[in-house]
Amino acid sequence: MTSPYETIPLYPLANPRSIAFFGASNRYTAMGTNQLNSILALGFEGAIYPIHPSESTVLGMQAYQDVQALPEVPDLAVLVMPTRLVAETLAACGRKGIRHAIVVSGGFKEVGGDGVQMEADLVAVARRHGMRFIGPNCLGVVNPHHRFNVTFANFEGRPGFIGMASQSGSLLTQMFRYLEQFQIGFSTGISVGNEADVDLVDCLEYLAACPHTRVITLYIETIRRGRRFIDTARRIAARKPIVAFYAGGSEAGRRAAFSHTGAMAGPDRLYDGVFAQSGIVRADSLTELFDFAWVLGQCAIPQGNRVIVQTHSGGPGAAAADACSRNGLSLPPFAPETLAKLRPLIPHTGSMNNPVDLTFSRDPMEYFRSIPEVLLQEPGADSMLLYCFTPRKNVMRIMQAEGLSEEEALQLAAQMAEEHSRKLADLVRQCGKPLLGFSYQNAEELIIRKILESGIPILPSPERAARALWALVHYGRIQAKLGA
Amino acid sequence: MKKLIESAVEKGAKALSEYDAKQLLSSYGIPVTRETLVQNIEEALAAARAIGYPVVLKACAAELMHKSESGAVAVGIRDDAHLREAYERVAAATDIALQGVLVQEMVEGQRELVVGLNRDPQFGPCVMVGLGGILTEVLKDVAFRVAPFDTAEALEMLDELRCRDMLDAFRGQAPADKAALCEALVAVGRIGLEHTAVAEIDINPIIIDPRGRIKSVDALVVLNGSRH
Repeated sequence: MTSPYETIPLYPLANPRSIAFFGASNRYTAMGTNQLNSILALGFEGAIYPIHPSESTVLGMQAYQDVQALPEVPDLAVLVMPTRLVAETLAACGRKGIRHAIVVSGGFKEVGGDGVQMEADLVAVARRHGMRFIGPNCLGVVNPHHRFNVTFANFEGRPGFIGMASQSGSLLTQMFRYLEQFQIGFSTGISVGNEADVDLVDCLEYLAACPHTRVITLYIETIRRGRRFIDTARRIAARKPIVAFYAGGSEAGRRAAFSHTGAMAGPDRLYDGVFAQSGIVRADSLTELFDFAWVLGQCAIPQGNRVIVQTHSGGPGAAAADACSRNGLSLPPFAPETLAKLRPLIPHTGSMNNPVDLTFSRDPMEYFRSIPEVLLQEPGADSMLLYCFTPRKNVMRIMQAEGLSEEEALQLAAQMAEEHSRKLADLVRQCGKPLLGFSYQNAEELIIRKILESGIPILPSPERAARALWALVHYGRIQAKLGA
Repeated sequence: MKKLIESAVEKGAKALSEYDAKQLLSSYGIPVTRETLVQNIEEALAAARAIGYPVVLKACAAELMHKSESGAVAVGIRDDAHLREAYERVAAATDIALQGVLVQEMVEGQRELVVGLNRDPQFGPCVMVGLGGILTEVLKDVAFRVAPFDTAEALEMLDELRCRDMLDAFRGQAPADKAALCEALVAVGRIGLEHTAVAEIDINPIIIDPRGRIKSVDALVVLNGSRH
């Protein structure tokens, strides 16, 4: 039975069962060869048919002289070939009955001149044969859930929940490793290229329906179907968050204005309005784009803007509190019942105000479990930021002082990290409020890695954690406005 | 209104006169100053008495896009004598053939907003609201939306402004009539959607009076002759 998701026009472009590949050879430096290697490296499970005019095998697979010779009609054609050959090759694919293509080749509209007409020809060919295609001038698609990666970069990462449509292709590939360090990954990434046919709006529709995608990210340089983009995004954003980064825009091509309004209608301010109207969370940087996607994909949406900060170090705690207030988040005082439960857990040198500052963490069991458990129940707060820093060497020294061998100490530390992170994650899930960690340590530290693996984000600074929390609060408001 | 715009475009005008611009806004329910277009001093005196002093005089012509810079405006006119003197000056301030002289009520209020429309190649008509007056382009405190949108969206635009607190009770003055402001924003968007010959609109300022009422005090409607 086919689900509605599988009937979406883009579905075969991201989930092909079989591929005709144009432009790969046995020359390892060629772009096409690299891209076919990427497909093989991720272990694509469908049939691959390299088309090559002279070679009988390509990368060890049987090659075909032309598309008509293929034993079946593949779901998808991938074209990585000289510009002048693209239109006739696409037409041959159409005659064979192929209905989907990824055109990687460049040299079209983006270079101007003859390229503009060649791109129009490409669209005409596709229309004539009822084909949908991504590109030209793109890097293709990555869908790790389907073991499908056409980009030239090997996919080093995990199947994840971040959907992306990008007007920069290589950006997509550079994020493979970057996301992996946070134990997260792409559900599907689409490099849209010139958007001669498939555009951002089509990608939004697809990613909205994709069950692996929990959050949609957009890298935008320009929006082509303006009104349609707004209406589509607004419809989707009520149930699936969309985050966008807008990389400025050329002022050129806009007519000279007589009015103040015209003079101030720079694309940046206009896009602020467009995103607000579309229910899209706007990221101010590429870093934020993925930070926001991370927390929106993993955390509950808070009911309001009240946050508790827990720390055992003054500086990071104060920095987090400060960043929160600059982002319109408030740090409420605690209810009497919270204070009563907190008192036995906080050393006399510590502070039971918000931020809660232990000054010294006596026991990781208390720090990662008992105290968050109390704080997450505070009725006057909607979310929590938890500073994470574990001086591993000290912990080891204490355990060894108590008579454990180094190996035993390591094993015990691993056990504790596993246990604490799992319990913390259970706690967070049960209370229905978001908890974000922040730390200057990273996944190399065992406890940090375990917490990340349990599905709790740990942002690399107090400021990024506060901004990410703002994104959660902001999305909550978007949902309320759109009537989710 | 379509006729008004069409005939201006046919004459090759780049813009509507302030009087015609206000007629257009008013026909969409946007509050504008009480004003009368007059051809001589007798009509001006009658109009000023009907409106009530103090009044403002403005030379009025489609070609006059920046009136205050050419001395074609006189404000704070208190009485008949003052009006006679100012009328001569305003009527002679420019060589441009005038549609007439505008006699306009003088609106009191310290809070000024700008509301506008422009056309974006990808999004079509876009509506702007922001801090008005002489600091508009210095502070650039503005918010945009793409037409059409509803009043809930318009309210969000107001909330995005850094000067938003000015719209609440402010220095002994009443909160601004936000509902009227929101309706004006939605209406400006409708003008953009319904009149393709309108390229840009500036309502600058819309003054919020001490009782919170809003009124368009000056308006510019730029026409889009070549793309009509």
